[in-house]
Amino acid sequence: MKYLDLAMSAATSLGAEYADIRIQKTTDQVIFLRNLSLKSANTSVLNGYGIRVFKDGAWGFAHNKVFNDEAVLATVQKAFDIATLSASVNKKKKLRLAPERSYIASYKTPVKIDPFEVPLSEKVELMMEVNRTMLAFEGIKQAVFYLIAHKDEKLFASTLGTRLDITYQFIDPMITATAVHEGDSQSRTFDEGGRAVGWEWIQSLNLIDKARQVAEEALIKVKAESLGPETRRTLILDPNHLGLTMHESVGHPTELDRVLGWEADYAGVSFATPEKLKNFRYGSEIVNFVGDNTLAEGLATMGFDDDGVPGQKWHIIKDGILNEYGSTRDTAMEIDLGYSRGCNRATYYYDQPINRIPNLYLLPGTQPLTPGELIADTEDGVYIQGRGSFSIDQHRVNFQFGGDFFWEIKNGKLIRPLKKILYKSCNPEFWNSCDAICDQRFWRPFGVVNCGKGQPSQTARMTHGSAPARFRNIRVGGSQ
Amino acid sequence: MKIKDIEKYIREHTQADDFICFVSENESHETRFAQNGITQHIAGPKLSISLELSFGEKSGSCRVNQADEASLDFLIKTAEDIARLAPADLEHMPSAGPAKLPKVENCAKATMKLKPKTMVDIVQKSINKAIAANALVSGMCEKHLLKSWTFTKNGFAGSNEGSSFGHSMTLKKGEVETKVSYEAKDYAPFDLDQEFARLKSQAKALASMQSFEAQKIAVILRPEALQELIWYMTWMMNRRQSDEGFTAFTGQMGQKFLGEKFSLYSTLKHKSLSAFPFSSEGLPSTETTWVENGVIKNMPANRYWAQKVGCEPLHIFNMYIPGAESSEEEMMKMVPRGLIINRFWYIRAVDMKVGELTGMTRDGVLYFEDGKIKHAVNNLRFNEIPHEMTRRILALGAEKLASPAMIAPTVLVDGFNFVDKTTF
Repeated sequence: MKYLDLAMSAATSLGAEYADIRIQKTTDQVIFLRNLSLKSANTSVLNGYGIRVFKDGAWGFAHNKVFNDEAVLATVQKAFDIATLSASVNKKKKLRLAPERSYIASYKTPVKIDPFEVPLSEKVELMMEVNRTMLAFEGIKQAVFYLIAHKDEKLFASTLGTRLDITYQFIDPMITATAVHEGDSQSRTFDEGGRAVGWEWIQSLNLIDKARQVAEEALIKVKAESLGPETRRTLILDPNHLGLTMHESVGHPTELDRVLGWEADYAGVSFATPEKLKNFRYGSEIVNFVGDNTLAEGLATMGFDDDGVPGQKWHIIKDGILNEYGSTRDTAMEIDLGYSRGCNRATYYYDQPINRIPNLYLLPGTQPLTPGELIADTEDGVYIQGRGSFSIDQHRVNFQFGGDFFWEIKNGKLIRPLKKILYKSCNPEFWNSCDAICDQRFWRPFGVVNCGKGQPSQTARMTHGSAPARFRNIRVGGSQ
Repeated sequence: MKIKDIEKYIREHTQADDFICFVSENESHETRFAQNGITQHIAGPKLSISLELSFGEKSGSCRVNQADEASLDFLIKTAEDIARLAPADLEHMPSAGPAKLPKVENCAKATMKLKPKTMVDIVQKSINKAIAANALVSGMCEKHLLKSWTFTKNGFAGSNEGSSFGHSMTLKKGEVETKVSYEAKDYAPFDLDQEFARLKSQAKALASMQSFEAQKIAVILRPEALQELIWYMTWMMNRRQSDEGFTAFTGQMGQKFLGEKFSLYSTLKHKSLSAFPFSSEGLPSTETTWVENGVIKNMPANRYWAQKVGCEPLHIFNMYIPGAESSEEEMMKMVPRGLIINRFWYIRAVDMKVGELTGMTRDGVLYFEDGKIKHAVNNLRFNEIPHEMTRRILALGAEKLASPAMIAPTVLVDGFNFVDKTTF
């Protein structure tokens, strides 16, 4: 597109040390069905471009939605002027950009059936059937189906000579049944958190069966007992629960911008500071976390980040030791890393990209171990599935998590369902208490499509994953 | 295309039986700084045109951010296509008709006139003050100008213009970390010297931190802290969710369910408080009593649910929690010991049915005993039920603008339930 060259040429002429333009069209379709009532069937298309100029160690970012030569040139000028203003503040504090080569490339999320090509009637018909299936269970008072289909079409150019053409997509179905019984109300949700795939994934999920399971489990849950006072217990955490725990307690603390204090005023900082690199025991020896923006079907897999840096795979925690961060071109140089791990992502065209969590997952155990064997090997504990309440302090140390479905374990058996369970722990205690992880056969991805961060606020997506894992001596109990 | 032209184009080109259209324009300037330098600096205009239309009881909607004819054609066609394919909505409501809307003043001249250079100067001065204090400062300086219009097929027409200015600073000196922020529609009262003095004062009070175990203890919640709990509580106070048995408010309409000292209103009378003149459904904003002396007088309900259960459709457009005259010094003398909380952080619902929340303290916790501040303590986790907490309010302090849409007082609460501590 001619605007790419026009903008980069103008930025260079003005004296930018570096500049890029990201032309981005974002299409979202959100369908929300509640108790057979279609609360929302909405398509949103946001189209525009953001231009970044780097000058004298500072950024300026301007965005526009008007596509003509005059508007593009005015936006370049605005970004340049803002960068100049930024550079006038505290001249001793200059940013640097990690070296990067140029790329001419394209990336397209592998999609067999484009969700946007599937007729709305087909989607709604499926959603209605799922709703009806859940509402057919006596005691289910609310059935919800929430479906998001998302597509980003991006053209990127930088003054390094990079030219990228990226089409990125994901889809996310979520179904919830809520039961009311004797003054209590409890929900159960099917939520894999979204994947960078097409409608073929929805077809493979057999959501009618999932609806029956969710409804049955909501009814079991609302009639279940809680656990009573908090004591130290063993936890076995399912991949679709552990995804959120690793997101909050490993993903965010290892974002380099937080480590540097760039999020100090809002999202917070990190206890995992640079002097801890290569020596801090973050977890037990079996704990290995990998950042991987090449992961198939991963929500952060998009070929290149919004710095024009290709997706990579690296150890963030290796054999339990803090190994490296997720970084961007500007954050990397603050610790003299010399290269970026390609974690700079923006949500919409009008967002300046920021340091985000990559696809981040816990490697499976290396010894054969099934979930059944893990439970059989546990005397007294709680098995947790699904997402629940989550909260963590602004240094990413102390946290409390709930879950979506719980079983008490006694003498190697699941003996009774539970509800209203919370566990409390902190870094590095929690990951050091991990003493068993099931093997590769049981590794499952779990996506996060609503990771909020930054001012102005942005929403990013990434995939986590693990096999079921066991944690010893954790504070577990019922809520109030 | 201008707003009137957009409205005319949509009216002329849609075949739908009914529609509601929401148009907004936003011009922002946002300067983000961290560790004494600027890290992000953003400016630009945004436009959003949302159209929700229906054929009979079948609805569809679309949003675009371009106002040329091709984009509006796409907007109308996409929404119409969706509506034609959608099943009939059992809860469909016709769009709102003409309504008399309150006059509100959400725009402040000083904010509108604020230039990028002035904002960067404010950032430079914030950083200079931090450097002079041998500290690091991170924060945000932002300005937003918003214009929005809503119109419907049935004749509703409403508009609003608003401004907002925000400035926040988190100071880090040694192990001490604390924050102040200013957020209002009007930039004029903003006084950086005063803000930084408050920041330094907070930092000084936090210098001598001692370890403190989680326990039930009296707390003085400053307005910013109370605000965050009440936002979550009102989210759970939805009329439909309550009527359907999903929240703690089920069956509590008209009951004294909250504390005698707690009242909550939405009001158009406070000049400093922003008030959108109408809801997203086209309901005029009106003076509303939600809770008075602990009695639930109203709960928010949309038009569908209000019609179904025979109540008035109402929405929360801002919050006013009246205070009283107790100072923090007086509050500290009312209980043997307690904590002063500046803010909370990462609040999440633990149990919707019970109304229980969890979260952390942030930006400084002070321990007092025998009427005097003794020292700072580490941050703590709470698991607490806000509506029950209001029954334990012992005293109310002066009210303050906690955010553009919330006025709240400082409150003294007995037996606040802290359940865990962290390391800093």
